[in-house]
Amino acid sequence: MLRGNPTVTNNYLIKQLPLATVYLNRKFEVVYVSDKWIDDFNFAKRNVLGQKLDTLFDGIDAEWKKVLKNCLLGKVSDKGLQHRLAKDDEEQWFEWINIPWYDEKENVIGVIIQTEDITHRIQSELKVEKLEILLDQKSASTKIGSWEYDVVRNKLTWCSITKDLHEVVQNYVPNMDTAINFYKEGFSRNSIAMAVDKAIATGQSWNETCQLITAKGREITVVAAGKPIFKGKKLIGLVGTFQDISNTIETASKNKQQERHFKSIFNSSYQFTGILDIHGTFLEVNETAQKFAGLEESDIIGKKFWNAYWWPVPDYVKDGLKQVVKAAAQGEFMRSEIVVLDKNKNPIPVDFSIKPVYDEDHKIVSLLAEGRMIKEMVKARRELKVSEQKFRALYELSPISYILSDFETGEILDFNSSFEETTGYNKKHLGSLLIRDILVKVPKRKSTQIIKDLTTKNYFGPEEQQYIKKDGSKFPVLVSGSLVGNKKGRKLLWSTAQDITESKHSEQRIIEEKILLKTLIDNLPVNVYIKDLESRKTLVNKAEMEYSGIKDESEIIGKNDFDLYEKTSAKISMDEDVKIFKTLKPMLSQETISVKPDGTTTYFLSSKIPLLDDEGNAKGLIGISLDITELKRKEEELRGLINVTSLQNKKLINFAHIVSHNLRSHTANFSMLLDFLVSEEDPEEKNRIVTMLMEASDNLLETLENLNDVVAISTNVNLDKKPMILNDKILAVEQNLTAFLKNNNAIIINEVEDNLKVNVVPAYLESILMNFITNAVKYKDPMRKPVIRISAKKNKKYTIISIKDNGLGIDMEEHGEKLFGMYKTFHNNPEARGIGLYITKNQIEAMNGKILVDSEVGKGTTFNIYFNGKN
Amino acid sequence: MEKINTICIIDDDPITVFGIKKMLNSIGVAEQIKTYVNGKQAIDSITAMVENKEEIPEVIFLDINMPIMDGWQFLEKFIALPIERKIKINIVTSSIDPYDKQQWELYNAKTHHVVAFNNKPIRKGDIIEITKAA
Repeated sequence: MLRGNPTVTNNYLIKQLPLATVYLNRKFEVVYVSDKWIDDFNFAKRNVLGQKLDTLFDGIDAEWKKVLKNCLLGKVSDKGLQHRLAKDDEEQWFEWINIPWYDEKENVIGVIIQTEDITHRIQSELKVEKLEILLDQKSASTKIGSWEYDVVRNKLTWCSITKDLHEVVQNYVPNMDTAINFYKEGFSRNSIAMAVDKAIATGQSWNETCQLITAKGREITVVAAGKPIFKGKKLIGLVGTFQDISNTIETASKNKQQERHFKSIFNSSYQFTGILDIHGTFLEVNETAQKFAGLEESDIIGKKFWNAYWWPVPDYVKDGLKQVVKAAAQGEFMRSEIVVLDKNKNPIPVDFSIKPVYDEDHKIVSLLAEGRMIKEMVKARRELKVSEQKFRALYELSPISYILSDFETGEILDFNSSFEETTGYNKKHLGSLLIRDILVKVPKRKSTQIIKDLTTKNYFGPEEQQYIKKDGSKFPVLVSGSLVGNKKGRKLLWSTAQDITESKHSEQRIIEEKILLKTLIDNLPVNVYIKDLESRKTLVNKAEMEYSGIKDESEIIGKNDFDLYEKTSAKISMDEDVKIFKTLKPMLSQETISVKPDGTTTYFLSSKIPLLDDEGNAKGLIGISLDITELKRKEEELRGLINVTSLQNKKLINFAHIVSHNLRSHTANFSMLLDFLVSEEDPEEKNRIVTMLMEASDNLLETLENLNDVVAISTNVNLDKKPMILNDKILAVEQNLTAFLKNNNAIIINEVEDNLKVNVVPAYLESILMNFITNAVKYKDPMRKPVIRISAKKNKKYTIISIKDNGLGIDMEEHGEKLFGMYKTFHNNPEARGIGLYITKNQIEAMNGKILVDSEVGKGTTFNIYFNGKN
Repeated sequence: MEKINTICIIDDDPITVFGIKKMLNSIGVAEQIKTYVNGKQAIDSITAMVENKEEIPEVIFLDINMPIMDGWQFLEKFIALPIERKIKINIVTSSIDPYDKQQWELYNAKTHHVVAFNNKPIRKGDIIEITKAA
């Protein structure tokens, strides 16, 4: 760095020069340089001394070289302007002057260059120019963009408005060609291109209205203005403005269009429209009106409004119309419904209006008269009236009371005749009647809810309330209300109130009937229940509860038969239910058996009737059961009694037959023998017949005796039975028969327990034992010693005594039926009389017992005698 | 009167047997009169006759109530025997039990033999009529 070198005075001086100055020798090498120059050209970091100018500036143009050479010849150059770009791309403008450097001897030893940085000055000038152009444009529009073109750098810059106008993005980089290409091809683009050329060539500015196609393809109209900027003679750039005037243009074309539109609307409108001057003279009239009147435009224009033929009654209507026009001319808007006549003189209702038309200065310049045919409207209104009448009628005739009241004050504003009838109030009371006069005070909680409903939902109810009649009596009503607002913003409440006195009564009646029914059901002497589809009980009466052994209904409700009864009978009952639900046929008066889990058995006469819903499907069943257990028991008893009776009856008939048979056989013999005797002559034969008669007589006596025995048994129905020790009786009989048994070598094996008691008629037991034991010996097998085995056992109902022998046995197939018959014998035993077993059987049956036989021929017989323990 | 070879009386009552026999003898209708005291004796004898192809009694007097085998039991067995000839069977009983009447009708329908029901006593006047062979 040579700057500030103190050894050279000149150098020192030059160094401090306020002007940027550089001394070059003849070779254009830097000899001295001012700090300012180094600063201006930004050489602070380089060693400039001794360097060629050419090197420092990376070559210098020919023009400058010429100037420098002229300097060496002693010529002073004109001031020049130089533009350069500094390292940081900052644009710099310099004004410069080259002068010859003389030594003392006036020899040119080099060139002195002085430069002045005028960048700021240039830029200020450009700004001024731009400002000027903008001011030139006079327009107040803010939508004026600007642009500048830097000739040196061939750089075009658009301001953001210009970019907006071109509809390009803000970081769009334009250049001169693309900028011109934005203009619409043809006239616009050519004009601009020529204007720019001309401006550069001649310095003439331009101002053109052209069409431009924006980046988005929209055609706009712009005023593009531009001006070249010179420094001295040198063109340094172009600046210009850019304004979108499309709207202005559009407005103008719109105006034309609007006029067309207006005209077409004016003419095609269904309204009659006319424009009058303020004195009522027609200026214009639309086609609708002309057609309606059947007139030409020229027939109307220029005439007075009130003289138009369509007014029906000329004189007073005319005056009225004059007044109307006058009023409108003074700024009043007049409107009324009138009737006009069409071209056929038919009256047509018209909504007529006339209003003033103002200019910008608010001065009335004309009047606009309009007429709208309101035939439809009138018709609609008539219909509305009819429907209102209908509503009125409904309102008045409705059996429901309607009350209109002020929601805030509670004042009653209107009500219908139903209200009058039910409450006794009439329209005269309107104005003084308040809701609280007719409404029994509602509990706080309820009224709060009503107010809440009204304010949130605009309605409440239906609610049960009580109204007060004029005479002070109260009655129940079902009230609903809805809130409506009237035009004045008053909140009105429409209430509908239905007198439910009647339904209240019927409700009460239903409750009473229900109680009655419940009482009835509860006190029926039958079990009544209702079951649902799952066979669960949903209702039971008292009898059913008593039967089920419960005190409270809740203990049984919801339970099914499986919960209540033993499995088998529950299953049967459930099956019945299922069948009823399926077939919908009732089960009537069927005998059923219910067994409780503890085994208690109850006989019922049950009916189950399906309960149907509205659609005819089963929804459950009603069960009605009559406890017939006692009845059943009695029936059983009766049946037993009938059995006994019929048995005895049968026995009696049988006996009667026996008696008659036996007696008849004897008497028949008597009769026959006597017959013989009468006619017999042979004394020997006579003797024989007499002997036979005596035999017959003996037989008859015996028969009578036997019959007497049987009768004795059969007539003793109520015998006194006593418990007897069986063994005692067996021993007694054995004792009595000792000799008989011994003679026949018979053995009795007694296997009966010592203390076994049987409930018997003692004499009968003896007779029975005697009979069986003697029979066993009488009908012994001649090949065997008779052995009689007596045993006894007890079951629930009987004590069974078995008497088993090893005798001849009886062919049960042959004789089983007759075994116990009277006079039946089965063996060729001359002593058999056929009476023993008959009597025995009668005795056993008289004691409520029975006898069964098991026998096989050749092996023996077992008689099982069943003694009934009961009396 | 046509003579009948064999008449048979089945009755356990000797007086009745005596009476019938006496009446039959008085009209002298039969060559031979056989008597049995119960159904068993009778059926055994008649069965033997059938087996030996001997002549079967043409008229039978049958009592109902008898020991061992009664009249109905006899009848049951008798109608089962292969006897082609129509036999006249006179039931002789003092029974007025409707059961017996029913039984008679039943057997009468069951067999080709002629079964008649007679209540005791048999009168002399009736004997000729009922003793005609079937």
